Amino acid sequence: MRSLLLQIVAVTTINLKSIPRRILLSLSTIVAVALVVMVLLAFLAMANGFQRTIAGSGSQDIGIVLRAGSQAEINSTVTREQVRLVEDGPGIARGGDGKALVSPELYLVVDGIKHTTKTKANLPLRGIGEQGFTLRKGIVITAGRMFNRGTNEIVVGKGLTREFDGFDLGSTVAFGTTRWTVVGIFDADGSVFESEIWADLPVVQSLFNRNNIFQTVRVRLAGPATIDELKGYNDNDPRMKLDVKSEAAYFADQSSQTTDLIQKLGWPLAIAMAFGALAGALNTMYSSVAARATEIATLRAIGFGGFSAFVGTLIESLLLAAVGGAIGAALTYAFFDGLSAATLGGNFTQVVFSFKLSPALVGEGVLLALIVGLVGGLFPALRAARMPIVAGLYG
Amino acid sequence: MNDFTLIRKNLFRRKLRAFLMIASILIAFLIFGVLAGVYASFTAGEDRAAADRLVVVNKVNFTQPLPIAYYNRVRSVAGIRQVTYANWFGGYYQDPRNFLVVMAVEPETYTDIYARDIDLTPEARQVFMRTRTGALVGEAMARKWGWKVGDRVPIASNIFSQRNGSHTWEFDIVGIFTAKTQQVDTNFMLFQYDYFDETRSFGKDTIGWLVLQTANPTDNDRIAKAIDGMFVNSTAETATDTEKAFNKAFAAQFGNIALIVVLVVGAAFVTILMIVGNTMALTVRERTREIGVLKMLGFTGGRILRLVLGESILLALLGGLPGLALAALAMSALRPSVSNMMPGFALMGDTVAEGIILMLALGLITGMIPALNAMRLKIATALGRG
Repeated sequence: MRSLLLQIVAVTTINLKSIPRRILLSLSTIVAVALVVMVLLAFLAMANGFQRTIAGSGSQDIGIVLRAGSQAEINSTVTREQVRLVEDGPGIARGGDGKALVSPELYLVVDGIKHTTKTKANLPLRGIGEQGFTLRKGIVITAGRMFNRGTNEIVVGKGLTREFDGFDLGSTVAFGTTRWTVVGIFDADGSVFESEIWADLPVVQSLFNRNNIFQTVRVRLAGPATIDELKGYNDNDPRMKLDVKSEAAYFADQSSQTTDLIQKLGWPLAIAMAFGALAGALNTMYSSVAARATEIATLRAIGFGGFSAFVGTLIESLLLAAVGGAIGAALTYAFFDGLSAATLGGNFTQVVFSFKLSPALVGEGVLLALIVGLVGGLFPALRAARMPIVAGLYG
Repeated sequence: MNDFTLIRKNLFRRKLRAFLMIASILIAFLIFGVLAGVYASFTAGEDRAAADRLVVVNKVNFTQPLPIAYYNRVRSVAGIRQVTYANWFGGYYQDPRNFLVVMAVEPETYTDIYARDIDLTPEARQVFMRTRTGALVGEAMARKWGWKVGDRVPIASNIFSQRNGSHTWEFDIVGIFTAKTQQVDTNFMLFQYDYFDETRSFGKDTIGWLVLQTANPTDNDRIAKAIDGMFVNSTAETATDTEKAFNKAFAAQFGNIALIVVLVVGAAFVTILMIVGNTMALTVRERTREIGVLKMLGFTGGRILRLVLGESILLALLGGLPGLALAALAMSALRPSVSNMMPGFALMGDTVAEGIILMLALGLITGMIPALNAMRLKIATALGRG
């Protein structure tokens, strides 16, 4: 057993020390594997970043009320009467004055200019009720101040200012004939709200001719479980015909489609590229075995077993792939992690998000690299183990 | 034995190696073909846009409504051949996940303006104009759901409701249209705006957008300015743009698809460039002695250069052409499942041409250095070596 181990160590050392003789071919395997891992990880980091932004936006103890069947805030309409009915509903937390902690909201799409392409893109303008700020977690005004009620003032999310032109603090923005002043920038824990523009609800309603029209109602639940009381109340009142969901459930639905799509693109691409890299790895390792034919035969002739030749070749291949995988992961981290991007989300408006690599994703990338190394080394290793001694010596 | 036979025999001397290189090139071109299709489908709107068509939307954003009265006012602007209007319906069939592109349109003018894009029999057009509950369905949509003329289909909206509270409208399919060019997608449905406006519970007398055709595209700018000028300072200001600019901006909303495609295709090509380039160099090095013999037999340096380059180009074509063919197959298999997200997802003639240019370039780049080395090889050195 010990001698087998020593043989493997010896053969592996010889293999690795001879890599410089095949440096270009070995490098091409490393580069190929690194690029495969980079493509995979870039897509996975994109999907992960988008998913975290959307799914991280929802809270379990906030309820969101939409028109039945509308699926997204943009499609929903809620009347003044329905807002009142919701306010009277059970399971909703109330303030010291007994008023329900609810925020009726209006969600409009306005044009903004995308920083990267200079083209028009859909941005969400949200008119929020008095409680709007407190009904979302982690909202902090990082520059300027909150808008004053009853004025044409807006506060904008940090993400939005990063990806779209013209929302600097103090600037004036025009939506159609209406003019607004940016008085504050807010941070929302990296959630989807950072891609939004917020203003006072009655001002938005009147300037956009939507008097007494609302799209959603957000409510603070007395506890996560009380959502069922509110749902039951809604189902039993024919005047309501609304959908009641926890904010967390609402955003989980919203993120799944885009995240799925990105992953569905990323994995097949990476796997196809992995096959290409595999062809390269096989080529490299077969060449390695061919180049060392005399060496392997000599070792066999002086008593080394076929198994050590097998393991030595396999380790060489796995090592090249692992190095490639590690370089790929490191480059993805350097170039893509934290990269800001924006795409069209479930509400037909832009969602700003950042690519986010995680240890689990890096694990998936390195695993793919090792599979390429394993398969790419296996067949050449078998050839090395089975090589007839005499042929090798005369080769 | 002619040179081509020699090239072929050389290439397949080591069958496994040749096969592996062909496989890696094939995969790179498969990726290239499919991603070019993805890119084409995102820019198809821009490509099929007619130079003489303008789109008028609400200046705030195209999801904001315009008063229907704008139709008559826009029609009065000089230099316009035809105007039509439409409203987005937010349709789905049976389940909200079965999202459908459905628009309420003015039948006569809409089918006139888009007559260059969609093929519709004059009879079907007449029936559509007459039938209040009639709908025209694109061939792709009809095939997907197994609909035919005469069917009555319930289509729900996730935005609108009828005055009776229902979210579902029933349409009678009166015609199925086909695409006139490859860029046109037919995965959509049209129905009468009047029927929609009379039955919906809110938003009456508003439309989503206007499309107009100018008599002369050189007047586009003047007409766009005239229209937007007419509605300045009204409650619904307009933004008029060419169909091309509008579609381009819309595609850009999804993100920088072009950049993603370029990066991934670039990664795939760098990979094969490394693998194939190194292998070609190795192959030629192994054959040093032989090349010396060929030269001794009177082969000129130029002929040796052509032999090596011929081999690398043959290799690129043997991998690349089946790669593109496989891409075409994969895309036709995927098309039904991605038709909503990526209409017009297909291998285009342009892509094939670009692919062949890439193959030749790949062959030249990977073969050039080994070929030059082989050409310059001195007979004495070559025969002296190992």
